Amino acid sequence: MKQANSSWKLLVFAALLPILTLVAIDVSLNNNFHPESFKRFGNAVLTSYIIMGLILIGNLFFYADSRHRPSAPFVGMAFALAIGMLIAWALISQDDLLLEANSGLRAQMLSNIVHLLVSGTAMMVASILAIGYTFAAITGRERRILFEEE
Amino acid sequence: MVPIGIWLTISGKAKLPGKIIAATGLILVMISSWTVPDSDSSAGGHLILTIFAPTILLAYGIHGMVFGGNVPVGRLDPSARWSGTFAVFASIGIFCLMHWYSFTPVWRDGTVNPYWIVFLPTFLLFSTSLCSMSSVALIIYGENRSSDAGKLATLSLLMIVITLAAMIFDGYLTTADQFRDYLWLSAADIFGTMVGISTAIGAFAIVIWSYEKSLPIPESSPPPNAEEIEHVVSLARSHIGGEEE
Repeated sequence: MKQANSSWKLLVFAALLPILTLVAIDVSLNNNFHPESFKRFGNAVLTSYIIMGLILIGNLFFYADSRHRPSAPFVGMAFALAIGMLIAWALISQDDLLLEANSGLRAQMLSNIVHLLVSGTAMMVASILAIGYTFAAITGRERRILFEEE
Repeated sequence: MVPIGIWLTISGKAKLPGKIIAATGLILVMISSWTVPDSDSSAGGHLILTIFAPTILLAYGIHGMVFGGNVPVGRLDPSARWSGTFAVFASIGIFCLMHWYSFTPVWRDGTVNPYWIVFLPTFLLFSTSLCSMSSVALIIYGENRSSDAGKLATLSLLMIVITLAAMIFDGYLTTADQFRDYLWLSAADIFGTMVGISTAIGAFAIVIWSYEKSLPIPESSPPPNAEEIEHVVSLARSHIGGEEE
């Protein structure tokens, strides 16, 4: 169990290291922190939470046939999503807390959705490259002979 | 339309209509710069349209690389592996040319598409991170996979080099300063999206767990009566025995 935990930590470290290295180089070149990055982080968290919540509610609806479509999980997830929307509305409405270069709440929300669409596409293309290249590396090796027939 | 189409496809209830709805939604998003030219948000659809061709080339290349190797089903000719490798690196090259050469996605009045400078750093950061993680995963969980892990580490390094080049050298319509600014925002975007998705999945798990926990424990079925035991014994007898050879 301890070995499994340490391997997970190594994987997380391997994922974070290149990003942190590049950001550190960026800091050393720019010599300052980007002031808008907190807003971007907050908007990304709230938008992805709401969009992912919607997708999961859809899954709940389509997969609930085998359980006679109980309404309790559906209502629970809708409540969790409503809380996310309420927090997003409250935080974006506060001046200069999560509002980026947009005129108001609705413009910021629309901008967040389009931004997530673009960054989500970038992450999806990167995943195609990385996961595909991993499988290509795995299938590229000659198959090993486990035992020879007599 | 896209999520509804995907839901219908995944649920298996209306696979073909689901695919058609999702594809139609995607096409409508991609042509939004013509259908709603006054909207600033249609730049997102315009960007997806401009990266569509290199993404298809990338997917084609990955397909050739994977299925040109040793796979038990759907194996392609071994030459597909080489053509696939060429296609993958050509698509990465096209993305570089889109930044440093005149292929840059142009939006209104000859200015760069505002989402291009969002897409490129996010793509580069996320791919270098995933390749690095896959490389370490191959070493930890695989057997004698050092050379394969080396290939992934090299790809991760290539992505780092491209990112560093974009941080130092100006693009065709963007400056290195702009790229460095957006690199910060991309890192914030990636971490924010991961946190948001994890939180939504966590909330979903809590909701399902609470519901399942609230259900009554199923009652144990009563032991079989004499008649049922007799029936089982007769069935067993009919399947045991046979004539000796």
